[in-house]
Amino acid sequence: MSQASLSSFNEDLLRSISASLAEPSWLTDVRLEAFRQFISLPSEKNPLYTKYSRTFDIALDRFKLARDRTEVDFRSFFTGYLTGTESDILLQGNETQVHAELSRDLASKGVNLMSFHDALRQEEGAVRKLVEGRLVKSETDKYAAFVNAFFNCGTFVRVPRGVVLEKPLRKMLLLDSPRTSVIEQTFVIAEEEARLVYLEEQYSKGTPSPAFVASTAEVIARPNSHVDFSSIQLLDDQTTHLSNRGIEVSNDARATMSSLSLGASVSRSRTNFYLNGRGSFAEGFEIFFTDGKQRYDYETNLVHNSPDSTGSTQARGVLKGESQSIFKGMIKIVNAAKNSRSYLAHHAMILERTARSDGVPSLEIDNNEVKATHSASVAQIDEEQLFYLMARGLSPDEAKKMVVLGFFEPVLSRIPIEQTREGARFMIEGKWHEEKRRLVDRETLLAATGELTPEVKESEDIFERHYKYR
Amino acid sequence: MQLEIKELHASVEGKEILKGVNLTIGQGETHALMGPNGSGKSTLAYTVMGHPKYQVTSGEILIDRENIVGLAPDKRVKKGLFLAFQYPVSVQGVSMFSFLRAAYNNSRPAGSEPPTIFEFKEVVAEKLKMLSMNDSFLNRYLNEGFSGGEKKRAEILQMALMQPKFAVLDETDSGLDIDALRIVAEGINRVSGPQTGSLLITHYQRILKYVKPQFVHVMFEGRIIESGGEELSRLLEEKGYTWIKGYREEEQVPPQTGQTL
Repeated sequence: MSQASLSSFNEDLLRSISASLAEPSWLTDVRLEAFRQFISLPSEKNPLYTKYSRTFDIALDRFKLARDRTEVDFRSFFTGYLTGTESDILLQGNETQVHAELSRDLASKGVNLMSFHDALRQEEGAVRKLVEGRLVKSETDKYAAFVNAFFNCGTFVRVPRGVVLEKPLRKMLLLDSPRTSVIEQTFVIAEEEARLVYLEEQYSKGTPSPAFVASTAEVIARPNSHVDFSSIQLLDDQTTHLSNRGIEVSNDARATMSSLSLGASVSRSRTNFYLNGRGSFAEGFEIFFTDGKQRYDYETNLVHNSPDSTGSTQARGVLKGESQSIFKGMIKIVNAAKNSRSYLAHHAMILERTARSDGVPSLEIDNNEVKATHSASVAQIDEEQLFYLMARGLSPDEAKKMVVLGFFEPVLSRIPIEQTREGARFMIEGKWHEEKRRLVDRETLLAATGELTPEVKESEDIFERHYKYR
Repeated sequence: MQLEIKELHASVEGKEILKGVNLTIGQGETHALMGPNGSGKSTLAYTVMGHPKYQVTSGEILIDRENIVGLAPDKRVKKGLFLAFQYPVSVQGVSMFSFLRAAYNNSRPAGSEPPTIFEFKEVVAEKLKMLSMNDSFLNRYLNEGFSGGEKKRAEILQMALMQPKFAVLDETDSGLDIDALRIVAEGINRVSGPQTGSLLITHYQRILKYVKPQFVHVMFEGRIIESGGEELSRLLEEKGYTWIKGYREEEQVPPQTGQTL
């Protein structure tokens, strides 16, 4: 990071953001501490990964952080996608929340779906506890520190104890302004025995422009709760995207994180699962499909801090054109976490010789009574598969498409949220045809495609196919 | 209509494997192609289907007098050609059902309305029954985790759906137990009616008990060196390929079938 870049993101800017959002002084102090970390940290802390960091470097000095008052027109953009009668949804245009709808039923049960600053005004004490104990700590990552210092918006989602929601709470971000910067913090909390499904989408409209979206997400699954978080990123190909996520899973709780990434010029994502409770379960799915000159830098870590915990992360990506990706992942099992099981996989398919992908999985295990394994591969499309399909009458393009879409399936088919799973297939196919498709509901999807992909259910046990236990 | 192979020479990575193959198959005919390992039988199958690794250096492959050398495999399918693979590859993530449907739709005459998903389900159910295959087959990934017998049945299922004019069956009998062999052979018989000409590539005579060829050809070192009726296969079974080899090396005594070359 050059000195010049620091000048645009300085302490004055930080104070002015905090003041314009009428924040209490403790929060300004939290921001200031994060700012100090941001200045002192290198862009890549881990010596294992520094050799890759240049390819994926992000020049923050390109971005401005002026307040953006552009009124974003959702209606025309989502014609055919949103009916306007959806409830349990937040719509955000640039950094401004433009619509929040929570059904009366959920409101009466005490469910929260609101902006971070509304939550701060309503429950300052609870929010302060969350902020001060947060998982995405400033000292762990330069870009996490950046968001913690300069966030200009945020989302707060909470499902109270024992309340079970099967339908997703949704949040949509729509960028519509040249050079806008959205820097946001999201908190998603499932209290004890609660069930929560959260679905977040990010889109751009208008002419592609060098916008900037940086976010942190804190996902907290209290004992016996169940959280399914899914996120879909289809920002335009000039936008820079940064994400840092921490997921904490308590005793006998379950959390999944499903991500579909198709957009942005540069995307950098860090996801850390903390299996902090006995019997906790976490599963991550990272699906990406890049083309042009897109650069994706993804890291997912599974940190097992408790006995009998189960974790898994599977990344699967296809790269076209001159795009590049790197996936880094670490399984960490502490000494106390006996009888834990963990699995980490990264598989990428390269469609052209100009594309490139790397996978760097690693293990750090301090207890012998565990099972942990990883697998990784980067391969070109199989010519024999293409020949076989063409010998059944498929054109070269149809054959390729079938192999590519099939490549995602073993991971895609495990995504627990139907809407994300079906929607991801529809959107990936769209990207194959170089058209931008948004997530749609089942009825619209059926109308558009005539049928849904037949599901092939493989074994539920993530370990069954892997014999290489340690 | 005929499938004609004329003076076909083909190489793999610069090495010539086919050294002037001549073969004519009419619709409704069944031909068996036998020969020792490495004689070029599978190369012939791949070359006819248009595998990119197999380069035709001279000669012609004609369907209905039209040369198909130079056409991509999918275009050859449109001309009515089918290859049952010796080793069908598996494709993860592609369901058997979607695959069969694509194969079916792509082998239908141009301009015909593809069937709805329900109509297709009926079509495929009937063919599955014919091959003693279970419905659950459709919900698996293409050839993935299939046993040898399942793979071969799946090939014949595809042939049944695509109804080719000319089918090349590359060692469809290998790796099958007796029951599976009978089912697959019966499947071939039912699928190949008077509209289909078949070329059955095999090492052994045993499948020829079920599928009766009118013509038997012996391939050796990239050429068909002997052609005859069914009795030729029995003779081969009795005497082995060394007999053919010996015959070729000595080049004097005509084979005892009384056939001339």
